[in-house]
Amino acid sequence: MLFDTTQLALERAIEGAGKRHEALAANLANANTPGYQRVDVDFHTALAAAVGTGEAAGGALKSLSFAPTRDASAGATRADGSTVDVDSESAKLAANALEQQAAVQVAHARIGILKAAMGTGT
Amino acid sequence: MSLFGGLEISASGLTAERLRMDVTAENLANAQTTRGADGQPYRRKEVVLQEAAGSFGASLSAAMGPNQGTQGGGVEVAGVVQDTATPLKRVYDPGHPDADAQGYVSMPNVDTVTEMVDLISAQRAYEANVTAMQAAKQMFSKTLELLR
Repeated sequence: MLFDTTQLALERAIEGAGKRHEALAANLANANTPGYQRVDVDFHTALAAAVGTGEAAGGALKSLSFAPTRDASAGATRADGSTVDVDSESAKLAANALEQQAAVQVAHARIGILKAAMGTGT
Repeated sequence: MSLFGGLEISASGLTAERLRMDVTAENLANAQTTRGADGQPYRRKEVVLQEAAGSFGASLSAAMGPNQGTQGGGVEVAGVVQDTATPLKRVYDPGHPDADAQGYVSMPNVDTVTEMVDLISAQRAYEANVTAMQAAKQMFSKTLELLR
């Protein structure tokens, strides 16, 4: 097998970060929507659970889905009932973007190693 | 939704916040207008925002399977409503052509301070959406580097 489960996990992490970015961007877009409840994608837990299945990790990773969920834990801090805090959303967004870039970097490096092994250079 | 979903969502936020800025500017411009479109003093307008249900494409991909993972389409404008709750201001100005028998003129219910605060809020929210857009752009270009 050319690509191992680590590579697959990295791909799914990149996809999960993309989905999470959409959720966080939607929160920011609804910063002024009264009664809006923030959404989030918890791809870390799903990913960790799939990787933790050991032998079956490959299949578990392939069937992984990252659906956005309403964050019920976030209490309304605003008079209009919205649970969006622009500052914390921006911080999460920036952290998520960095995380995605880190995953891409690692995936890129691993592909580079494969290319080198194939004798096609990096 | 797919690849450019993040950009579309942020773009919907930009559109909504820009409209808020436009309406605020209209309110400020009409702060002294005693003759609105209906002949009555101008009443301040407000933008009502709501969460967008998602585009046709998003609904379709959701129907195709859970793995497609869908997301709402960001934000949309539910409508622009007139603020009839705040009373009009009564100003004593007998020389004004629209003054009533007692010499009072009904002035628009526009409060400059409220409008300025709304304007700042819209501006900051706009900037937050721009930042989200830049982050999305960075993520896309980084992913494209996988091909190099």
